[in-house]
Amino acid sequence: MSATCEFQAKDYKSDLKPIWCPGCGDYSVVQGIYRAMAAIGRPPHEIAFISGIGCSSRIPGYTTAYGFNTVHGRALPIAQGIKLANPDLLVLAAGGDGDGFSIGGGHIAHLIRRNIDITYIVMDNQIYGLTKGQLSPTSQKGRTTCTSPYGSLENPVNPLLYTLAYGAGFVAQASPTDLVGMAAIIEEAIRYPGFAFVNVQSPCVTYGEEAQQIKGLKAISESLKDLGHDPADRLAAMDLAQHYGSKMHLGVFYKNPEPPATYDAQIRERQIQLSQGALPKERILDLFIKK
Amino acid sequence: MRKDLVFGMAGSGGDGIVSAGDSLLQAASAEGYHGVMTKSFGSQIRGGESSCRVRISTDPVLNPGGNLDVAVALNWEDFLKFGAELPVAGTTVVIYEAATGVPENQIPLVGVTPLQVIAVPIAAMAKETAGTERAKNTVVLGLIAGWFGIGAVAVMKGISRKLAKKSQELVEANQKAFDAGMAFAKEHPLKADMTIVPSEGKGGVKLLTDGNDMCAAAAIFAGCQFFGGYPITPSTEIMQFFTNHVWKYGGAVLQAEDEIAGIGAAVGASFAGKKAMTATSGPGLSLKSEMMGLASIAELPLVIVDVQRGGPSTGLPTKTEQSDLFAAAFSAHGDVIRPVLAPTSVADTFRTTIEAFNIAEYYQTPVIILSDQEIASRKETLDPIDTSQFKIINRLAPTGSDLQDYKRFKQTENHISPISHPGMLGGTYLASGIEHVESGAPTNSGSVHARMNDKRIKKFDPLKERKDLFEITGNPNAPLALVAWGSVAGVCREALQMAREQGLDVKLMVPYLLYPVAEQTYRDFFASVQKGLVVEQSHLAQTFKVLRMHLDLPKGLQSLARSGANPFLPGEIVVALHHLLSELQRSHEGKLQPQE
Amino acid sequence: MATRIDFASLSLMDALDLAILIEDEAKERYEEFAAQMEQHRTPAAATFFRLMAHNEAKHGQELADRRGQLFGGLTPTVTRAMIFDVEAPDYDEARAFMSPRQAMKAALASEIKAHAFFVAALPALKDAEVRALFEELRDEEVQHQTLVKAELAKLPPDSGLSDEDFVDEPAAQ
Repeated sequence: MSATCEFQAKDYKSDLKPIWCPGCGDYSVVQGIYRAMAAIGRPPHEIAFISGIGCSSRIPGYTTAYGFNTVHGRALPIAQGIKLANPDLLVLAAGGDGDGFSIGGGHIAHLIRRNIDITYIVMDNQIYGLTKGQLSPTSQKGRTTCTSPYGSLENPVNPLLYTLAYGAGFVAQASPTDLVGMAAIIEEAIRYPGFAFVNVQSPCVTYGEEAQQIKGLKAISESLKDLGHDPADRLAAMDLAQHYGSKMHLGVFYKNPEPPATYDAQIRERQIQLSQGALPKERILDLFIKK
Repeated sequence: MRKDLVFGMAGSGGDGIVSAGDSLLQAASAEGYHGVMTKSFGSQIRGGESSCRVRISTDPVLNPGGNLDVAVALNWEDFLKFGAELPVAGTTVVIYEAATGVPENQIPLVGVTPLQVIAVPIAAMAKETAGTERAKNTVVLGLIAGWFGIGAVAVMKGISRKLAKKSQELVEANQKAFDAGMAFAKEHPLKADMTIVPSEGKGGVKLLTDGNDMCAAAAIFAGCQFFGGYPITPSTEIMQFFTNHVWKYGGAVLQAEDEIAGIGAAVGASFAGKKAMTATSGPGLSLKSEMMGLASIAELPLVIVDVQRGGPSTGLPTKTEQSDLFAAAFSAHGDVIRPVLAPTSVADTFRTTIEAFNIAEYYQTPVIILSDQEIASRKETLDPIDTSQFKIINRLAPTGSDLQDYKRFKQTENHISPISHPGMLGGTYLASGIEHVESGAPTNSGSVHARMNDKRIKKFDPLKERKDLFEITGNPNAPLALVAWGSVAGVCREALQMAREQGLDVKLMVPYLLYPVAEQTYRDFFASVQKGLVVEQSHLAQTFKVLRMHLDLPKGLQSLARSGANPFLPGEIVVALHHLLSELQRSHEGKLQPQE
Repeated sequence: MATRIDFASLSLMDALDLAILIEDEAKERYEEFAAQMEQHRTPAAATFFRLMAHNEAKHGQELADRRGQLFGGLTPTVTRAMIFDVEAPDYDEARAFMSPRQAMKAALASEIKAHAFFVAALPALKDAEVRALFEELRDEEVQHQTLVKAELAKLPPDSGLSDEDFVDEPAAQ
């Protein structure tokens, strides 16, 4: 499908100047999002872009969409309310690994099982940047940070396996090492009719380790397409996802070839069905008349 | 003959005493009486002790009443567990299960000699007539019909309607049990005539519902199209009502994974331009407080219902208390005003809920409705409400020229800025929990923060001037006064009537708006007051303290406060007023007759 | 929508459009870097990046003029979505408090990268005119490298000290 000529990537870029450190991976991610939005071609005012708290959660403000920079860990509940209140909107959610898999870690499973048509982009940098470099839920075991001076004793969350295991219909991974690929993956995620998850390995230039910077990531990156991976094969996807942390597989891990009906589509049907013959709102108290 | 009867009945869950109360209230309502029913339970899901109070009257009922006129104990152990919730006095007729084996002159009620005590072989009668002891509650209804003249026809009509779908046999069995109860009553007349005065067709169509259903219905009437919440006693019925009905009006419900997600989804729906609501009880309110802060700074309309129960923590989940006022007014961080409203009855829950939405929408703010377990779960008969008299307010939409250069948080004369929502062309902006300039762009400037705080706080000034959110009754210049809100207000209304009948010069203030404190309205009210009581079910006397924080209270104003689940009786408040009066008279006497 | 370049079928117009897009991307990136540096109190690097943006704009304009003369207002068939970081410095080259030397090194790295892009593309090209254009662009990149190197040479010798050792530590938010 070709992009409408009406919108270009720059139409989604706002005037706000990012507070991110120079060299931050998130600069590329926002570019990828501009490109994906342009490819989709929805006007900015029909897009709601929701985030939590963290460096990466500043991202909605750098777009011209309706943005909501909410509270720590709660981008997904708020995004759900928006989508259910107005299913016509294109709803994007974004945040960091701490936001999505630590403080807000309880929400993603429920969004997945509800299958609400929201695309969730996690900028995974394996560290808490905004609060100056504490251990995050995706930090590798043994990592030394200011809250793990003798090395972390915890295993990291695997965001890919986590979302695949809960049954997400679309799971992909991208990285600023390949912006063209990242834009295409985000576009595909948005087009997927249902909940879609994109883990973006986006390095922290200030608190990240050397191996986690772009050059280090390039060295461990492998394209799923080049590996001949079939995105309809969920078990193969889970197998590959186990390498999170040691390899960086880029591309679509899993895309349900037969997407089931979304929650938001079903509530519409219910609204239409039940509104027939309903009491007018002004007479709702008639429900309490006892004969 | 009596114009007003208060029944208190207790048994174990298996005795079906609450369901009997339901049938009694419905029958009375069908016969044209006014009524209120409250329920109280032990902590077991099934099979614990359960009780209900049913008050039936020829006049509108202000509260569940004081001492019982009729006490029904299916067993004493369960009855006694409710203590002060079911107070027996010298005017009470006590009916109890003969199978308990307790002689009539040895019932386990300390310090009181009831008007009459009657042991009835209720279980035996049920077994004999219906073939099962389970029909005990129907026997009780028959006894009540026989002795007090309520529901002789209507009770069985209601039961038949309820059971007709199941089997005719079941209806007949119940009829026999009911008739047996009626017959027993006729054979054993009471010492005093306690039959109720005929309702004389005062009835007409009546509504019968509880506070939670009324709250949800009012929200839908006010245009609420989204509910996000999580089950918690005693508020859950609000979510249940929404799931049954809101779809019909183009709305949606999300039973969320937790309290935070519930209010989060509601915040999202409000951002998307829809009126939204969540409901909870104390522990849930604590979890939601961060989101309330977000809604305040993002200036998003939202209604949060807190059906109060005994706290802190799980506390007394099935009993009422008024101890969440501090939490409602002060729980979220930061300098912020969040309006807090409280209904006082099922009937005015309708108006209060609509008012909450109107205030939320007009001022673009979260608003808390502080209901309580008693109002939420008590059933009331009400006269039909003319819904056309209620005005519905919607949030201020941006005009074409506003959208030319849209500033979401534009400084205006009344501090209220036009609000757009996703989907509106020209209205895009960044909503955020971070401090922001007029456009919505984040800032960490101290001066902007001060200006924005000013905007967000001053916008509420007109709310504090609203006299219609206060009910003042009695002589405006009275030296004696009562202040009460929520379910306690109903008790004080009755106490006021009684006190005035006894010649006391007393007035009553019932605030529906608890926060922000309307200083001037209180000052005007307290101007004539020399002695008074702030009556509340809060051990810490939270209302009294919130008032003292904002006002110089009259010296003679005292707190009458106690923990929840220990109801106030109108009579004891009247006694307290008499005490205040004597104090007042003594102090005047002192002034007139100098000490030797 | 095609997001990868098919070098084998590239026409001269496409090749010119591509070259313009590459210059555009580089110009925008340098502007973005300059803004980042201004935002992060690194003015000397900002000035240098502004200069680079100006240069890229100039090159872009020259190419655009040529394209205009040859093909007028014909609609381009290649898009920005097909390229990424060809002549633009990588996002991770930027650093807060970077010295002019580091800024120049970042620019030099991107000129080397651009050179490599054209070199790598050459074997796949079928059209002789396109090939000639790519060779020309490749050689320009060498010239640019020489210019940046000359600028680098004008700088006082490197003290060997890292600025990172002097600056404030990051501020928690």
